[in-house]
Amino acid sequence: MKKFTKGLLGAALLSFAASASAVTDADIDNSFKPYTKGFPTVEGVVAGLVINKSNVDTYASVLDDGMIKHIKDGWVELTVGEPMDFVLNQGYIDATKAGAKNHKLGAKVGELEGYTAGRPFPIEPSLDDPRAGEKMAWNFQYGYNWGDGAAISPFYWKYKNMNTGKIERTIKFNFYFLNFAHRVNDAPLPEFEKNPGKLFRAIYLNVAEPFDVKNTQLLIHRSQNDLKRDNAWLYLGFQRRVRRLATGQVTDSFLGSDLMIEDFEGYNGRISDMNWTYKGTRTMLLPMYDSSKQERTSEFNESDGYTYTTYHGKGGCFPNVTYSLRKVYVVESDPVDPNHPIGKRVHFMDAQTFTLPRTVTYDRQGKYWKSWMIGQAHPDSHHPVNKGTGVSVDDAFGMMDVQSLHCTTGQFKGLVDPSLVKKKQFSVQYMRSFGK
Amino acid sequence: MNKSRWHLKPLAAAFAFAGLIGMSLSQQAVASIDTGDDSLELSGFIENATYFRDSVGLTKFRNTLQLEGTKILGSLGAFDEFSINGTFRATYDGVYDLNSNEFGDDAGGSILLESLVDFGAGNLVPNGGGIPLGTITPAGLVNDGLIVLGEHLHDADGGVTFAVPVRPCDKDSRGCLGGYMDDDLDDLRYSDFNDRWDFIRELYINATIDMDSGTTFNLQIGKKQEVWGRTDLFRVLDILNPVDYSRQNIYDELEDIRIPLWMATAEWQFGANDILDDMNVQFVWIFDKFRPNKLGQSGTPYQILDAGSLFRGLSNCWDNGCTVSNFAGGNVTTNFGPGVLGIRDVHLPDWSLDNGQFGVKFEGVYSDIGFSLNAFYTRSQLPSLRGAGGPGGFATDNPFTGGGLAGLPPEDAFGPEPQIFPYIIAFDIHFPRVVLVGGSLDYYADPLKTAFRAEVAWTKGEEFANTLKPRLFSESEVVRWVIGADHNFFIRGINKNKAFLASFQTFGQHILDHDRENGPLGEVGIPDRENNYISTLLLKGWWFQDRVSPQIIQAYDWGANAYVISPSVDWLISDSWRLQVAANLKFGDGARKFSDCRACNPFSPFTATPLHDNAVQLPSPPFPDPTFAADAGDIGLGGFEPLGRFQSGPIGMAQKEDEIQVTLRYRF
Repeated sequence: MKKFTKGLLGAALLSFAASASAVTDADIDNSFKPYTKGFPTVEGVVAGLVINKSNVDTYASVLDDGMIKHIKDGWVELTVGEPMDFVLNQGYIDATKAGAKNHKLGAKVGELEGYTAGRPFPIEPSLDDPRAGEKMAWNFQYGYNWGDGAAISPFYWKYKNMNTGKIERTIKFNFYFLNFAHRVNDAPLPEFEKNPGKLFRAIYLNVAEPFDVKNTQLLIHRSQNDLKRDNAWLYLGFQRRVRRLATGQVTDSFLGSDLMIEDFEGYNGRISDMNWTYKGTRTMLLPMYDSSKQERTSEFNESDGYTYTTYHGKGGCFPNVTYSLRKVYVVESDPVDPNHPIGKRVHFMDAQTFTLPRTVTYDRQGKYWKSWMIGQAHPDSHHPVNKGTGVSVDDAFGMMDVQSLHCTTGQFKGLVDPSLVKKKQFSVQYMRSFGK
Repeated sequence: MNKSRWHLKPLAAAFAFAGLIGMSLSQQAVASIDTGDDSLELSGFIENATYFRDSVGLTKFRNTLQLEGTKILGSLGAFDEFSINGTFRATYDGVYDLNSNEFGDDAGGSILLESLVDFGAGNLVPNGGGIPLGTITPAGLVNDGLIVLGEHLHDADGGVTFAVPVRPCDKDSRGCLGGYMDDDLDDLRYSDFNDRWDFIRELYINATIDMDSGTTFNLQIGKKQEVWGRTDLFRVLDILNPVDYSRQNIYDELEDIRIPLWMATAEWQFGANDILDDMNVQFVWIFDKFRPNKLGQSGTPYQILDAGSLFRGLSNCWDNGCTVSNFAGGNVTTNFGPGVLGIRDVHLPDWSLDNGQFGVKFEGVYSDIGFSLNAFYTRSQLPSLRGAGGPGGFATDNPFTGGGLAGLPPEDAFGPEPQIFPYIIAFDIHFPRVVLVGGSLDYYADPLKTAFRAEVAWTKGEEFANTLKPRLFSESEVVRWVIGADHNFFIRGINKNKAFLASFQTFGQHILDHDRENGPLGEVGIPDRENNYISTLLLKGWWFQDRVSPQIIQAYDWGANAYVISPSVDWLISDSWRLQVAANLKFGDGARKFSDCRACNPFSPFTATPLHDNAVQLPSPPFPDPTFAADAGDIGLGGFEPLGRFQSGPIGMAQKEDEIQVTLRYRF
């Protein structure tokens, strides 16, 4: 009888958690504009503050454990910058207002019902909600990350030895993102008319340099049905062939970097591949900044004068950017697949943008494995084409393997420009024709 | 064309240029040449490949300069995107200078041929020392610059063998097949500089129109490689370009050994529709003069199936006459004059519109399955040896009666000379028309965490050696297929971050009109197996950010019982420097035997035996006792040469070619 009661209670909770919530416009405004009444404050954490190993304990409340360790170990010093309001694109907000009342979780993790576009769950998460983490994950998955489509072109990755700072490899990529569905800003809305595979999103990238991996291309198709496995293809320039990619390779070191394909953008996988747990809301320092006020480099000689983020700290692995106080949702994800290489990730989601500027990864033994930062530039401070786009622009990343003391850094030239993204680029045949 | 124009000055200039580039680059990783022009991309590499073979020594000292470039012209006329793409390669293989005793001007020597019956000269007789059934020309009697056919792989063992000239064709023209296998020393050393301008690996325009309908039209015209199919190593659909096996037999990357052709491709990329996630149609017109696969020439380190040696030896036999071991009576080494045995001519199709090649491909993605349907109207890239002995054949001499070709009286009691003799071992090389229809697909099976790839092709028009036919060949439809599976797996104990790749493939070939039967002395007919299978397994791992990658690739020919294993380590020293160390080791049965048709009785009654059909003993006198008259046909007497090679396959025929290989590349 006790078991039966528990079961009923659990079912009721699940039902409650999965049901469409009574989302109000005020909830939505609060979700997208949490700083209308001012930015969060923590005593002493003001612009210009440099947090180093001498004072890190004082500011431990605004840092994650991994970052505290890095600072204590003398790997990096963080400089606090001015807070900024990252209001996302109005089309995305409007789509949220139009549809949020209809969104609800399905019975299984990875099922989302009634969704068309916008932020799926623009509500404050509750620790009492067993599926709150999953809802936050959906907010990231269907976030306005790169808008309806964007390019990172070029995108420089450097493989570095953390002990020596030696750059072992430099790879020049071009990344492209396109939403096939849930579009909110660029026609056609909300979905491409011819989308028989019911794709949600596609990612296409190619390698421009160096020569040994030149013309390597990757194409990922993600279905609207989260329970359906991604399709991925790899084109190898030296073979001139498109190869169907086995799933194992998305949790594999990508082209020898410290990232796996699943790490792209903080998390690049299915919701249903993970168990999601909301762990609470915090005020934390995240690498979100005014890019015009950062130290930039013109090392890649862009003809339009664009400059890239610099790096500092141990091995030159940390983006040399300022951190600002943000409202953060802490969400843990642990893989469903027992053979997955990681034990869990702890995501520090920016509550306003639902980007993932900071993620800490643990291995299957529970040991700290990877330290993952994605610097977010305010679009109005970034490349002219990004002004007014309402996209929190991924601007620089540092992925550190703290066990092997190796890192990969990424310097973005992110362009939220629909003209740079053509639907044809996201087809298998395009890989063949691009690769010659 | 005056070849010397190409061979020295351009190479000297090319390598000097490479040196300048090397000097001008800093040690910081440089991924491409900074042209100062965003629309112009230039990159390239310099490479040295040095290979050593057991018991032979140096087999390759190839130095390569390759340049790749793309000039993007943007929107041009009706085209939304227009670019010019080029890849240029210059190679110099020093093996012909550094190991000229094996490969080059000093290769070969005098030879001795086995004779099971000692007719007074012992059991090993020199070239020209057989019993006379004709007069070998003075050139054919020169016993220098020769090897015995197949000597690197097997003894004669009672079978037929003969002399093979092995020096470059400018040094020794014997047996050189004009336009097909007639490379001189410079052609061999500088293989990219020939009259087909192979130093241009690719040079083509790429033009695209983005239509309002969403369809993209792409047009490419020029010299290029065009790749069909989804599998590795095996060429079931990837046959638009012939390949150059002379670089390293079957073991080089196809990218490096496809022979580029002048062609035009037109492709409509329709994208998604209501049913397919992706759909495109491509038409290919190859307007280049036909080029067969390059099989390797005698006296060079790499020949698939040792075909170059066989062809040159046979050609020499036809031109000059030759001494054939264990021929007369199946056991007496015999001299034949010119015009009896061998390869008479090569029929390479002339350039004409009619000789063009045409292909069409329909490709798409349906649900989770990628697929293609392919058709190609082409020619066999492998040679067909069409025998002289039947309708459509050609006349040869009867060495027992004298003949016009040998300068002897044209007629005698056995009919006009020369005449067509069935089953005579004399050939012309042809490249017959072939039609291919096939398809491919790929699919990822999530429950198995494995990606599958498959290709299948049916061809009509291919020709096979067949000792049951008077002209010693027959046509057959063929079905070939490959199925491959790629699976990634972790071994966390030795590599935490990176999965290993296991890639397994099996290739199958089914000859639909296979023809084989048991003769009185052994099997006769088509030496290729009716069904044959080759399996490959690649195991590959990566360490140190993919900069160190060991792999083991293995292949096993089930019919031939031939196995090759090639372990290698690829070390990416920096973005610019790469070192690869590899071994290539073979195991298995090696040479195998099949009927050689020496007992096919083309010259009844002189070659007839009681074992041949309708054998009748002739009266003595006037004929020596016993003499039979009988139908021509194969009774199955055989040996290693020449048809055993089709039983051994490319792996078995290279059994004795174990190698250590070192390749160093600098990219810029």
